[in-house]
Amino acid sequence: MRRILWAVLIAAGTIAQLPAQLRITGLDGLASKARESVDITLDPAMLQMAGAFLAGGGKDGNDVKSLLSSLKAITVKSFEFKETGQYRMEDLEPIRAQLRTPGWSKIISSQSKEEISEIYMRTDQGKVAGFAIIAAEPKELTVVAIEGAINLQDLSKLGGLGVPAIPVPGQSKDQPKDSGKKGKQE
Amino acid sequence: MNLEDELKAALRREDPSSGFAQRVAEQAKFSAKPKRAMPRFVWAVAIAAILVIGFTSTYEYRQMKAERAGRDAVIALRIAADKLNIARDKVSRREN
Repeated sequence: MRRILWAVLIAAGTIAQLPAQLRITGLDGLASKARESVDITLDPAMLQMAGAFLAGGGKDGNDVKSLLSSLKAITVKSFEFKETGQYRMEDLEPIRAQLRTPGWSKIISSQSKEEISEIYMRTDQGKVAGFAIIAAEPKELTVVAIEGAINLQDLSKLGGLGVPAIPVPGQSKDQPKDSGKKGKQE
Repeated sequence: MNLEDELKAALRREDPSSGFAQRVAEQAKFSAKPKRAMPRFVWAVAIAAILVIGFTSTYEYRQMKAERAGRDAVIALRIAADKLNIARDKVSRREN
């Protein structure tokens, strides 16, 4: 009986020490206040489907596919408000509290009076296991959680002046590609 | 002729024409014959049609889901990339 108890305690301790996957919580009420919002959650099965779909999108599509292949999950919550003061920095506290746990480390941080940009990296047994991005501006709030190994250099190349550079199969070149943050995804 | 005589004349017994019994028997035999079952090939075509419609619908649904997942993935990565680049720019501007 004692052995079982010890085993349970050791297992519980090990689980408690493991850096958990980031859960974006505490922002649910913001969607109703936002002018535009994006709420995307992709699990491994969805990422696999996405990769298969994007594989037909030429070189860029294949680049995205290879980026997705090493990922286990992506969660993006982004809100764009008409006015300032629609959210409080305290709203981010449940997320930031998770990012203070062992395994997470802040790799980029820029803070001013009204803006915060933070990038966190999660390591597991010495390997990159995930990233988190918090971007808080007076009229915009974005939190991204990426689970899995991803090369930030490769990810960085996908952005650029807000101009979408990734072709989606089945979409003509003349047709405006999806609105990105402009569309309400919920 | 009164009514009674008219009725008697109308209802008087008459022998059936020759072959009547045989014709009745043949008619009864024909009516009792079971209806023809639906040919097998009709069943096969119906089942094949149901299977084709089922597979097509499933494929279309999966394709739609994959398309949605692909678009979501692109949007998610774009947002992540933009925010990453903005954070990097802020840091590099501060350092310069």
